[in-house]
Amino acid sequence: MVRTILIAIGIPLLAYGFGVSFMMFKRKIAARIQRRYGPTFIQPLIDTFKLLSKQENISHGIMYDLGPILALAASMTVIFFIPIPGMKLMTGSADLIALLYIMVIGSLVMALGAGESANPNSTIGIARALTLMLGYDLPFVIVVITLVMKYHTTDLYKIMQMQTGGHWAMWLLPLSAIVGFIVTYGALGEHPFDVAVAPHEIATGPMAEYGGKHLGLLMINHAFHIYIELALFVDLFMGGASNLFYFYAKMFVIFVIYVFFDEVLPRFRVDDAVRFYWRWPTILALLGLIIVLVR
Amino acid sequence: MDKMTEEQYRAISNMLRKRSLWMLHYCTGCGAMELPPTMTSRYDMERFGIVPYVTPRQADILLVTGYVNVKTLKRIITVYEQMLDPKYVIGFGSCAINGGIYYDSYSVINRLDAYIPVDVYIAGCMPRPEAIITMFKHLMNLIDSGKADGYKRYKQNYEFYKNNQRKVLG
Amino acid sequence: MDMSLGVLLATPFVGGILAYLGGKIHRWVRYTFAILFSLLAFIEIFFFYNTTVGNYVWGRLFGSVLVLQINPISWIFAFIVTGISFLVILFSINDVEGHKGLDFYYLELLFVEGAMLGITLAGDLITFFMFWELMSWTSYFLIIQGGKKSITAGYKYIIMSVIGAYSMFVAIAMVFGRAHSLVFKNVSMLLSQSSPAFVIWFFVLFGIGLFVKAAVMPLHTWLPDAHSEAPSPVSPLLSGVLIKMGAYGLTVLFYGFLSVQLIGKLAPTILPTPLLLYIVEWLAAISIVLATFLAILQEDAKRLLAYSSISQIGYVVLGIAMGSSLGIAGGLFHALNHAIFKSLLFFVIGGVIYRTGTRNMSELGGLIKKMPVSFIGALFGIVALSGVPPLNGFVSKWMIYEALLQKKEVFLLIMAFVGSTGAFLYLYRFIHSVFLGQLPEKYKDVKEVPFLMQLPIWILSALTIVFGIWPGLAMNVIAQGEKFLGITPIKYTLYGFPQGTAMSSLKVINISSVLIIAFIVVLALYLMLPKERFVSQYDTYAAGQVVTPETKYNYSYGFYMFFGRVINPIFKWSADKMYEAWARATKVFGDYMRRVYTGNLETYSSYIVVLITIVAFVLLIGGKLW
Repeated sequence: MVRTILIAIGIPLLAYGFGVSFMMFKRKIAARIQRRYGPTFIQPLIDTFKLLSKQENISHGIMYDLGPILALAASMTVIFFIPIPGMKLMTGSADLIALLYIMVIGSLVMALGAGESANPNSTIGIARALTLMLGYDLPFVIVVITLVMKYHTTDLYKIMQMQTGGHWAMWLLPLSAIVGFIVTYGALGEHPFDVAVAPHEIATGPMAEYGGKHLGLLMINHAFHIYIELALFVDLFMGGASNLFYFYAKMFVIFVIYVFFDEVLPRFRVDDAVRFYWRWPTILALLGLIIVLVR
Repeated sequence: MDKMTEEQYRAISNMLRKRSLWMLHYCTGCGAMELPPTMTSRYDMERFGIVPYVTPRQADILLVTGYVNVKTLKRIITVYEQMLDPKYVIGFGSCAINGGIYYDSYSVINRLDAYIPVDVYIAGCMPRPEAIITMFKHLMNLIDSGKADGYKRYKQNYEFYKNNQRKVLG
Repeated sequence: MDMSLGVLLATPFVGGILAYLGGKIHRWVRYTFAILFSLLAFIEIFFFYNTTVGNYVWGRLFGSVLVLQINPISWIFAFIVTGISFLVILFSINDVEGHKGLDFYYLELLFVEGAMLGITLAGDLITFFMFWELMSWTSYFLIIQGGKKSITAGYKYIIMSVIGAYSMFVAIAMVFGRAHSLVFKNVSMLLSQSSPAFVIWFFVLFGIGLFVKAAVMPLHTWLPDAHSEAPSPVSPLLSGVLIKMGAYGLTVLFYGFLSVQLIGKLAPTILPTPLLLYIVEWLAAISIVLATFLAILQEDAKRLLAYSSISQIGYVVLGIAMGSSLGIAGGLFHALNHAIFKSLLFFVIGGVIYRTGTRNMSELGGLIKKMPVSFIGALFGIVALSGVPPLNGFVSKWMIYEALLQKKEVFLLIMAFVGSTGAFLYLYRFIHSVFLGQLPEKYKDVKEVPFLMQLPIWILSALTIVFGIWPGLAMNVIAQGEKFLGITPIKYTLYGFPQGTAMSSLKVINISSVLIIAFIVVLALYLMLPKERFVSQYDTYAAGQVVTPETKYNYSYGFYMFFGRVINPIFKWSADKMYEAWARATKVFGDYMRRVYTGNLETYSSYIVVLITIVAFVLLIGGKLW
């Protein structure tokens, strides 16, 4: 019982720690790529707590307040269903298919919150984000189905277990892994898929009216979001990990590749992003699926 | 005990505020020209946690870069009132201080701090990046010692500022 | 017990007539009768919970007995019919107040309910067909009460319905020619002994009639017009209940008259599903995707929901046609869920139309502050429809996906998934354009809908939670129904599905409880932080510009224009245009044919001479043409 409670407290803290450390590394690595010195290492933490300690906060209504709260709550829900080495709590209550839907709760509620701020920039940002989601969902679904067809289960733990000992899905299903990488990239919303935020066009989109503690909660949520996307990729394609260190190391490798891409690429127009996803990643994913089905 | 925690809370929050200044640069004049070099690799103001942000809700500092005329003053006031406390204003370059070379123009506001409270002025035409960074350092010191209280002054002397604004804007 | 079925079926009809007559005395007499009898029918339904009553003979026609029966499958649909009808009547009282011909309106409403109840209770094909036709005609009269445009919409509806009904009638006549008894048991016995060609013809002809009502593409074209133009209280009835009758008919056709083994024998099986069912599955999957894309690009709120109905009924048909225990259970559960959340959404938009007088989404906005209850209803509706836990749509969609995965029908699964993600787009557009965003000045005095119109919203919102967290409640009946149909019933627990039912186990209660605990934790954190102050909607970021009440500072028209650029090439083709081209071709053909009739006596006599010559020639060469 005590152990369960400890794990229940530990998982969110761990996920936040991982996520925030990636945010820290991101700014530092980005600075070095641009030949800058970069901010202090703990800058994201300082930013978050500064926002939380703002003296004045505004609100456009109840849904506006609930948006960030529920988004964060939803992210905290998701991390309980993603396997973390050594911490089993919710085995068998939600599988991969259910997880895909639990992951949507946060964005949906956040979209409602941003909608109430009555700012067209927010709305355009959300319209773009949802369209982009429809774009990367098609290849991602194919990839998920490929994995399920390969391992004959939708249980994430079992998919992870079957990949132990170096039999990573990344090596066995390289095409699907590439597509999975591109999709995770879009889900993270980095360049060239940052159409939803696009500070220079639509004033950070959904966050345009958010400031103070709301924005602070959203920054915490962003840390969770990075963790969720990376952990899912690692669990699905890199066989999870046996201990936390390897888990972190694998996520870190993937993350560094993301940052490298992020820093050098420009931005897609949203319909071009959808066209991109429905062309090459979909074709590659279908090829991977057909290979698995035929075998 | 209560007093102690309150003081500690203030110290910590001041520390956080000075280390994380998000700025909204209101590029009215040529002053913004010197900001890109300050942001990019040569001077790199992200070292101090200073990052440009987009909307007034998110920002802490309002940079008024250059001369202010009657039309832009209205926007500046709107933006300033939309920002969340604590917020700081920086008058950037000699134009913001006294109108600069446009001091005798019919439409230029000569004194910015008659309309919104300015925490730090920075002289120069244009101020060089070194000067900008010195200014930020100065602002950080002011925040640390609690002297950057423009937002409080604006609330205390609200009538005064509103009267001045009304005189110009009608 | 046998007689009680007759009483149940008679209840709405008697109620309708009494409401009609009572309306002549006073309007409250009318309302009392209408509410009382629809509630009575709903209560009577519960006496038949989990029971199978067969063969109550209520008449004879053409030497065939007319039979009523009830079983768990028809119980589910009868539950939907009576429940939603009751709420529709509650909603109608305020909504259509002051219109003309209200006595007739309530008569029709209760007659539609009775007809649909009759379909679910029918035990033979003649009863089924009679009530099927009664449903089409009475609902037609309801649809055309929605104003000028609704007359064309109703016309389209009745034409499609009649075509479907003829097709069904031919199928029934085919069986009648051989069997002389149209009780369901005899029909299924006859079909199991008939030749494959006969069964395929029966399947296709009967199926077309059902597909028209279930609005499976390409027979869906009546639905967007009829659902959007019908009066607001009628739309939930059409979308929540009427199209479910198609789904019920398909269940009876596939597993009552036929069976998976029988359909499998008709054509060589190389696929995981028998060929005929596989085609149905593909039609359903195409409905899901195309209707979703069409819904994304709509400007009219009710039209958007109507297209969404086509897409969601696609899931129902997809599940039912799958032939596996989990799939059928998923399809039936989705039928129940869809009735709940789609009626809820139509009630909400009905309330909005009642207060604002428009359903054009780009004219609305910001109603959350004025109509909070409607907003909550819309919120529950969209979360349930988009298939997100912890509400009910999630469980049924999950079941359908898992069933598809079990059968390795991957391409159908991809389409179902894309349709579900597309649902986020149009649902967000719906709730944003109506309830969020900027409140136009002209609606600043709008009030919440009256209590009787709120009641359906509250009840249905509560039901989305109940069936979302305790799917076992519905599974109880569905498993019984599957046992009745001769399929191995699925395994279930109150909170989800144990290992072995699907590809993996599911416990919905865990998801929702984690979500609630996380919400409480975050809320506690939020409340510790400095307080917020409320600002007006005009105090918003506009790059320094001052937003005044006269400015429309809102993004609402052409919401997914950029997405339209991506998918527009698909919509150069449409079923509607196809039918129109067909009609035009028929007309042109008819015009040419008309030239034959010149009105000249000599020409006619020469035709006769030519015809006689041909007949004589044929007879001359031995009576054979080839």
